[in-house]
Amino acid sequence: MHMATVLTINGETKSFDAPPEMPLLWVLRDVLGMTGTKFGCGIAQCGACTVHVDGKAVRSCVLPVSAVANRAITTIEHVGSTPAGAKVQKAWLDLEVIQCGYCQSGQIMSAAALLAATPSPDDSDIDAAMAGNICRCGTYVRIREAIKQAASGRQS
Amino acid sequence: MSGKMRILTSLVVIAIVVVALGVWIIRGPGPLDFAGGPKVALADYRAGKPTGVPAKLEKASLIERGEYLAKAADCMVCHTKPGEKEYAGGLGFKLPFGTLYSTNITPDKDTGIGNYSDQDFLNAVQRGKRHDGARLYPAMPYTSYTTMTNEDVLAVKAYLFSLPAVRAKPPENTLSFPFNQRWAMMFWSAVFNPDTRFAPDASKSPEWNRGAYLAEALAHCGECHTPRNLGFALDNRKKFGGAITAGWRAFNISSDKATGLGSWRDEDLVSYLSLGHAPGHGSASGPMGEAVDHSFSQFAPEDIRSIVAYLRGVPPVPSTDLPATTAPVAPASHKDGVTADARGKKVFASACASCHGWSGESPVSPTATLTGTWAVNDPAATNVAQIVLSGTKRHTPDGALSMPAFGNAYSDDEIAAVANYVTARFGTKGSKLTAKDVAELREQTAE
Repeated sequence: MHMATVLTINGETKSFDAPPEMPLLWVLRDVLGMTGTKFGCGIAQCGACTVHVDGKAVRSCVLPVSAVANRAITTIEHVGSTPAGAKVQKAWLDLEVIQCGYCQSGQIMSAAALLAATPSPDDSDIDAAMAGNICRCGTYVRIREAIKQAASGRQS
Repeated sequence: MSGKMRILTSLVVIAIVVVALGVWIIRGPGPLDFAGGPKVALADYRAGKPTGVPAKLEKASLIERGEYLAKAADCMVCHTKPGEKEYAGGLGFKLPFGTLYSTNITPDKDTGIGNYSDQDFLNAVQRGKRHDGARLYPAMPYTSYTTMTNEDVLAVKAYLFSLPAVRAKPPENTLSFPFNQRWAMMFWSAVFNPDTRFAPDASKSPEWNRGAYLAEALAHCGECHTPRNLGFALDNRKKFGGAITAGWRAFNISSDKATGLGSWRDEDLVSYLSLGHAPGHGSASGPMGEAVDHSFSQFAPEDIRSIVAYLRGVPPVPSTDLPATTAPVAPASHKDGVTADARGKKVFASACASCHGWSGESPVSPTATLTGTWAVNDPAATNVAQIVLSGTKRHTPDGALSMPAFGNAYSDDEIAAVANYVTARFGTKGSKLTAKDVAELREQTAE
């Protein structure tokens, strides 16, 4: 069953036809063509599909669109226009965090949500917020460093 | 009579009296004895019609009425193996003494019930007797269905016979001796099956009587929610006091204020039964999730209200192993609150926190909120471990929300650790599950 769905994504109202059970990730990538958010495992285990719903980092691959009507969705395409997202992206570039890059939009979304809620995270805060984002290249050391740099505002 | 004969006769009489008394004590009260009012024959109860289908289906065809009743009796869940044809049987129930497989109840003449006459079908559903005379095991809840009217049982038959015949032979049971002796169930049945039809309680409202018929004869709530006695039959002294069935805990649904449904609002009960979720009380999963999806969600609204009215009157039975109140919301920061199990916290951070949040109030959906649920407030953590193992899916009018199964992603040790962390952080008392406990829970679920 298809029905007209209206979502607020990156501050814009988007209207499209999709079954209510369709995961938000599919809507983003396949219906709206916003391919910055990645498909990893499809079972909320890797974090590649992370987006913000009302500012909180959630996995869009298991989230049906019916659950996010009337809520503010932010994706990697737009997170740079939030203060925390801008700081995170700058630190990511400054420290050359990315290797293959596939998981990194999810990593950046989780890091930006962390900094928005906890402006000066310690190691345990970073562990708790980032544990659900897996990186097969093993960039964890640089990710941790970049989060600290983004939080402190210091330049590399 | 010689002296020896007299002694022997006395011994026999004493033995019979002792056995009869033992049976009487073990059997205890019937499911509706608590109500206490005078029971009248169905035909003499003029205040309303407790049996049959809701008013809107009164004029419907026999098959349609049978479909409603078959769903109310939830025949399909046990008689269907996931992924296979509906009603074709083959679902395995793992018992301590072997596995029992459900039968094919499609109208196939060789492997199903295609040769059943009306009387055969009544015998099976109300008396636990098969077409060939063999006895059914009480995994088939015929001691509950026995109170269905003949008319309703035969409507179910008409519905089943309207379905496509499926040729499918379920696997042979693997029960060990003496449990493989079907004939012995004759004695069990003689003691524990009242073999009587529903008799309304004249002192109660039509709504209560309808609820009693639905809850007892059709939905067979007690089969999971009432503890069992020495004879593995329902112990109605602790009616609806909660029990473990198929590896899941069926919680207390008596009117006990602290550990039962006594403090639930009517609208919460209606919502939980018809949608599988009530705000602040969690979501139905496991066997109750199936009961909601295939049975309660199909009930007419007035039938749901009748069940609620009936549940309200069931005497309170406290669950002494549960806390008097559920725990409040946990702190928003992972640093505050209980962090007893460091390993469990790691698993929670990687796999659970993004949907359930650190406070237990889900940032995603109220159906995923842990705060206030009995599952996380049960110090045995049975259902927490089961949901982690097998996942859950909740259908709502707006679509389905699901939790993936983590049984293959994490070891028994990790699942025990995360269950212990979750019950400590979001419940009143942390569980002490071990890898062995989790392995046993894996073994018990029906498949």
